[in-house]
Amino acid sequence: MNTDIKILIVDDEDNLRTAVKKILQMEGYTVSTAENGTKGISIGSSDDFDVVLIDLKMPDISGMEVLARLRQVKPNTSYYIATAYASYETAVEAIKLGAEGYILKPFTPDELLHDIRKGIEKRRLIIEAEELKREREANLLELAFERSRLNTVIKSITEGVLVVNKDREAVYFNPAFIKLLKADELELARNVSDVLPYPIYEMIDNMLNDSSSEIKTQSDEFKTDADGDLYVEVSVSPILGNDHSMDGVVLVVNNITTYKQIELLKNQFISMVSHELKAPVAATLGFLEILTNPSIILPETQQIEYLTRASARLKSLIEMVNDLLDISRSELNTVRREIRPVIVQKVIEEVLLLFENEAAKRNIAVEIKYEENIPLINVDPNEIERLLTNLVSNAIKYNKNDGKVLISVHKSAKYVEISVEDTGIGMKPGEKEKLFNEFYRAKNEFTKTISGTGLGLSIVKRILDYYQGYVNVESEYGKGTRFIIYLPYIDEHNTNQH
Amino acid sequence: MSDKKVILVVDDDVDILEQTKILVENAGFSVVTAESSNEGWLKFQEIKPYACVLDLMMEEYDSGFILSHKIKKDAHGKTIPVFLVTSVANATGLRFDATTEDEKSWIKADAIMNKPVVIDDLISKIDEFYEKADAVK
Repeated sequence: MNTDIKILIVDDEDNLRTAVKKILQMEGYTVSTAENGTKGISIGSSDDFDVVLIDLKMPDISGMEVLARLRQVKPNTSYYIATAYASYETAVEAIKLGAEGYILKPFTPDELLHDIRKGIEKRRLIIEAEELKREREANLLELAFERSRLNTVIKSITEGVLVVNKDREAVYFNPAFIKLLKADELELARNVSDVLPYPIYEMIDNMLNDSSSEIKTQSDEFKTDADGDLYVEVSVSPILGNDHSMDGVVLVVNNITTYKQIELLKNQFISMVSHELKAPVAATLGFLEILTNPSIILPETQQIEYLTRASARLKSLIEMVNDLLDISRSELNTVRREIRPVIVQKVIEEVLLLFENEAAKRNIAVEIKYEENIPLINVDPNEIERLLTNLVSNAIKYNKNDGKVLISVHKSAKYVEISVEDTGIGMKPGEKEKLFNEFYRAKNEFTKTISGTGLGLSIVKRILDYYQGYVNVESEYGKGTRFIIYLPYIDEHNTNQH
Repeated sequence: MSDKKVILVVDDDVDILEQTKILVENAGFSVVTAESSNEGWLKFQEIKPYACVLDLMMEEYDSGFILSHKIKKDAHGKTIPVFLVTSVANATGLRFDATTEDEKSWIKADAIMNKPVVIDDLISKIDEFYEKADAVK
């Protein structure tokens, strides 16, 4: 097992070389020899020897020089100088040059082996130490890399991160934290009490003062911008050390502005819906209270009129609830669409049937004008029917008696354009923009007696949005309104290619 | 013309308007109605009412505020009670009342009442207003 240990003997004395070689080989070492200094240097440099034994006096180069030269290239090898002229100076010089020691000639095999074993052990320790050092360096490198990668990750995320130690000092933070909390003055090792808004500092302080064994993450919402509308959610979590005591806390800050805005819109919508639902209920209740009030005596015709008006209000309430359900279905994406190629003209004719009576009652003429070769559109026929019903219903409802409704279909480069035009009351400037808002109804002396939910056009717009279509409105107060809807059609050329 | 005191009622909901008219008339007043804030302002100047009852949300969500502000700046308006009526005490993010002096100073109405108006309440608020005004004199 000693064969993997290599020893070199550099000596000009043949007998000694042979004897030493034999002794060492008997111990199982692999032995090489060199008969002068020059060869010693060349053999010694070409292989990794564990121990090199060098004779001090050689005819070509001195043993000291061989030692010096070899140590330069093989510093981990153990060197011994063998000499018959032991002197204090020689010993000092040999040690200075990096030898383990010197062996006094003549020596016994035991003396030799003792020194060789010492040298081997020394060399083993050196190599082991070197390996450990290399390993440690590699680990450090990996750690540094890991740290910088983690650092990059934390710097890149949109959430703000701040680590605070027990002394309330900033230990780590990322740019997002500064941005979200406008904490420009924050710097490492600085006490955060005068940098952070007080309520946030209080969260940190409370957690650090908490001595209970189970500390949970605390979250709260803050408005960080006095003028603007920036809302953040701040979560504070404890950082526990190995002994489960708290080393500090970590804050994570999220921008929740969009969420807040949606919440506000939702609340406004709910308020608006409640208001719109309450109006017809209040009106109906008002009529019933008057009719049942014993101190108010009304003629029978007026009683019947009030009952009729009350039921009209309830009817409009039901319509509104239906419209709201429609909107909520489309918002929740629970509409089950059966999309297929549809002939627009057919749908228009079906819709017009629904309004025949109403139009006739008020002597409103309905005219249809189709261009030739109108392409098919890919839609759910029910949705398109709903859309057209809302538009035609408006065109009749907001028309004058003896008025006219003109429906025309035209094909443009990309769209089938359906125009619904009336000779009704029209809109004042400024009303057009609000037209597609939920519950918006143009209010003027004409419209006050017309019932409506204020949701019809909002539904029209939602349907068009789904099909990548759009709507245009032209209107003149007192003269009439024209809605033009644009729906993308099926390109025959393209479909054939598929 | 009778010597009944005239109350101006402004509301863009014609049903509510008619109901309020019947109820207030039944309480012994004479009622003039208007269906928009413009019409309300014109009728106010014309009849110089004993009290005004204004719907808050008409053409705009704050039409009633603006009308009451205008009325309260008028010489006659300063001497009469003006009431805002609403079903949206806290809708559209607005929450308001006219109970504190501070609120009254910017709302410019003597009370904000919930819809539907309880007539007995309205009458007692009108009486209260005039009793206080008399006491000051």
